[in-house]
Amino acid sequence: MGNMRRGVALKRALRVIAVVTVLGLVAAACGDGGGDTGPTDEPGQPTAELEGGTLNMAMLADVTAAFDPQKEYYSVTWEYYRCCLLRTLMSYEGVPTDEGGAQIHPDLAAGEPTQSEDGLTWTYQIKPGLMYAPPKEDTEITAADFIRAMERTANPKANVGGYSFYYSVIEGFDDFAAGDATEISGITAPDTHTLEITTTTPLGDVSYRFAMGTSAPIPPDDEGERLGVAEGHDRNYGRFLVASGPYMFEGSETMDFSADPGDQTEAPGYVPGRQIVLVENPSYDPASDELRDHYPERIEVRIGGDNDDLYNQVEQGELDFVVDGAVPAEKIRDYQTNPDLQDRINIYASDAVRYVSFNLGEPPFDDVHVRKAVNWAFDKEGWRQLRGGPSTGEIAGHIFVNSLQDGILADYDPYQTPNASGDIEKAKEEMALSKYDTDGDGVCDAPECQGILTISDREDPYPEQTALLTQNLEPLGLTLDVKQLERGTMYNKCLDPNSHHALCAAPGWGKDYADGITFGEPLFTTAGLYESCCNYSLVGATPEQMTEWGYDVTEVPSVDEMNEACAALEPGDERFQCWAEYDQHLMEEVVPWVPYLFDNSVDIISANVENYTFDQFAGLAAFDSLAVPGNTS
Amino acid sequence: MGRYLIRRALFMVLVIMIVSFLTFLIFVKLPAGDPARRAVGRTTTPEQIENATKAFGLDKPLYVQYWRFLKGFIPYPGLWLTEDVYYSYGNFVPVKEELARRIPITGILAIGAAVIWLSIGIPIGILSGVRRRSVADRAAMIFAIIGVSMPIFWLAQLLLYAFWFKLELLPSSGIPIGYNGWGGALRAAAEGRFILPWVSLAYISAAFYARMVRGNLIETMNEDYIRTARAKGLSERRVIYKHGLRGALTPVVTMLGLDVGLLLGGAFITETVFGLPGIGQLAVQSIPTNDFPMVMGVTILGAFIIAAANLIVDVAYAFVDPRVRYT
Repeated sequence: MGNMRRGVALKRALRVIAVVTVLGLVAAACGDGGGDTGPTDEPGQPTAELEGGTLNMAMLADVTAAFDPQKEYYSVTWEYYRCCLLRTLMSYEGVPTDEGGAQIHPDLAAGEPTQSEDGLTWTYQIKPGLMYAPPKEDTEITAADFIRAMERTANPKANVGGYSFYYSVIEGFDDFAAGDATEISGITAPDTHTLEITTTTPLGDVSYRFAMGTSAPIPPDDEGERLGVAEGHDRNYGRFLVASGPYMFEGSETMDFSADPGDQTEAPGYVPGRQIVLVENPSYDPASDELRDHYPERIEVRIGGDNDDLYNQVEQGELDFVVDGAVPAEKIRDYQTNPDLQDRINIYASDAVRYVSFNLGEPPFDDVHVRKAVNWAFDKEGWRQLRGGPSTGEIAGHIFVNSLQDGILADYDPYQTPNASGDIEKAKEEMALSKYDTDGDGVCDAPECQGILTISDREDPYPEQTALLTQNLEPLGLTLDVKQLERGTMYNKCLDPNSHHALCAAPGWGKDYADGITFGEPLFTTAGLYESCCNYSLVGATPEQMTEWGYDVTEVPSVDEMNEACAALEPGDERFQCWAEYDQHLMEEVVPWVPYLFDNSVDIISANVENYTFDQFAGLAAFDSLAVPGNTS
Repeated sequence: MGRYLIRRALFMVLVIMIVSFLTFLIFVKLPAGDPARRAVGRTTTPEQIENATKAFGLDKPLYVQYWRFLKGFIPYPGLWLTEDVYYSYGNFVPVKEELARRIPITGILAIGAAVIWLSIGIPIGILSGVRRRSVADRAAMIFAIIGVSMPIFWLAQLLLYAFWFKLELLPSSGIPIGYNGWGGALRAAAEGRFILPWVSLAYISAAFYARMVRGNLIETMNEDYIRTARAKGLSERRVIYKHGLRGALTPVVTMLGLDVGLLLGGAFITETVFGLPGIGQLAVQSIPTNDFPMVMGVTILGAFIIAAANLIVDVAYAFVDPRVRYT
């Protein structure tokens, strides 16, 4: 991986978690899978009776970067892109994992890519004759448009908050980003419908990276500017977005890209902080698309409101769906127990994990036995109950969510305890092996075990959870000094190795796409270390870095090589197995975390919705599959 | 009068400067962590942090940083909320554009609520003040105590639950798609979409005003000039409504100016609960996302409106209370 700067924005992970968080919930058996509503059909081949109508949705808060594809690192926006606005080389069907939702398919690509013998160059053929939405309805989507998107992805003024690190592996990308090259040498268009991508190292998941919104094609403008229609819109291209999917912002046809960028008027269908209106893209050719349902003819989204009230509106049928809310506990109870409502609640694994991380540079957690002892003592079931009970998710026995390993480790938990409530005797046995337990009685007797700096979130349920942890660790001689902070500040503190925190007690992490690299690399390799994000445990930090950050401990384990080996494999069983072994190595040898919960996503829908599917890629309902043929504007 | 107005206007400028400086300190200097880093998100590069640092002027001395923001408060083309500083990192829109879009909602909310609370609070206060210790007085004061004791977020949700969710008598929360600008806000008001927000805001204030008017009226009715009026043989009705009320209502003008100013600066809770895309909701959305330019814009707008309302109230005093003279 060389000197690539990588990292996965916690911003998005946080948002993923936010969608499924605070589910203030009830006990109920649930896990992967839930109640699909309505008839099963083939995506891309809409069932006629489900078509039409206006889908009425609400969001508590707006998207994070006003729909700018190079900035948006947020699962909600990714769903808008996937379902509706942007087609990419490859994409997903918008269904759950067990129906193939983690599998990638050609979208704008005419078929699967071909790979060179050295494994470095990938060639994609692009479907001919596909046009952009108005006002670019006369412009065909070509290979050059993907290069334009990559150049904007590399542009530090345009990609603020985004995930350009996923593309650093393209040859010449970093040089272009730094202004040392005039083009990205590793992405070329030998002809109008052929795109060649060359990476600096063999990489099996190139297609996944070209299924994300930032890689969606950007059309040229009339002036031949380098960034096409995005030229002059470094801060706000999202409001001038030219769609390639089945929908576009209402009024997109009124945009005039021949004007000076400062004089251009954005599409009125998106008013930041207030409303999103999507209408059908007249240029869209359903015959070219086997992945999307595009049932509603119009999608209206109100932004803002009170969580509970919005769900009341869903119950009354005034809204069909709340995109980013947390279903109130009593509603979950009602919908799970009332036979008339049961087909309107949907619970799926959201592919996110919650955990407590150790700082491997900070005593006593520089000792793996102490880290293991905490894993043994941890009351995972207690933590889950404090979140709301079983419907909030599945107890986590390892780090990577199961879908990233094809379920190989579904039953694996090296620290399994009765009822997942912790085992203090085993914890003491482990502590006795530690250098901080000099008399071997299973209780830490070193001063490092007192007043352990623990960073946590001040919002519910974290105060109660850290109180429980404090109680769990007392028998081991570990006492915590808990600092409860505002969430953003908490993450900044956890991220900053100079803060010398020992435990970070409230983070969560969601996948970016269905591959282990979105966990393995940002969370545990040098590429995820400060400042890029989000390796709070400092796994893989060099002695120089540890010294620079003021640690007495300078040797910490590294998994960089293991990560690199898995990343190079082709998608498939071997790659799944590799991530599983990586995960086991982390859990048994490195022990950087206590993972405690694999989160669920809980949705309710209105009675107007005649079809629902869960998009595993974004971890949300597939908006285009929410069929509301009876809803009229 | 002219000199007084100039003096008050200068004082208003001073108030805004103090508020802006405190806001600036709170958002730039006090929180943990680097504001530039908070603005660019957690996945970032040193270059992007540097860019944001420059964009915020954080590489400059404190007074230079403050001056960059302060300049944006000068109501002059090219300076007023200039886009190179006052540009939202959350919504990626110019702050002034966003504020302008939201003012109609907040304006109608504040003015409508004020009309209601005055229409309810003053008559009740008068009734209680005139008929002290009567059943009506006690009932009115129970109404007032309940009102001033009730948390607005609770009342708002209760009203929504009762009048929309259960009884279906009034519209639910939110403003429909396409109801933009003053026209859209007025249309929403005409459809009754502001009734519950108005009532939520107005009940609490009406209760407070009722108590205030009652207390003022009782106190005024014990004044010498009231006794004189009675001694001259004026009817009790004339004594109360011509002489007593005028004195009793003078403080109401002060409070009204401040309260309406405060609401125009953003009714945070009400707008959030009722999904009203006004200034208050904007502030609530901007703070958690560390959208510093937007928060500054909202804060200063609020400070400006309150200071201006104060000024208007002071001027209005001369018309309400003949004893007031401006020098």
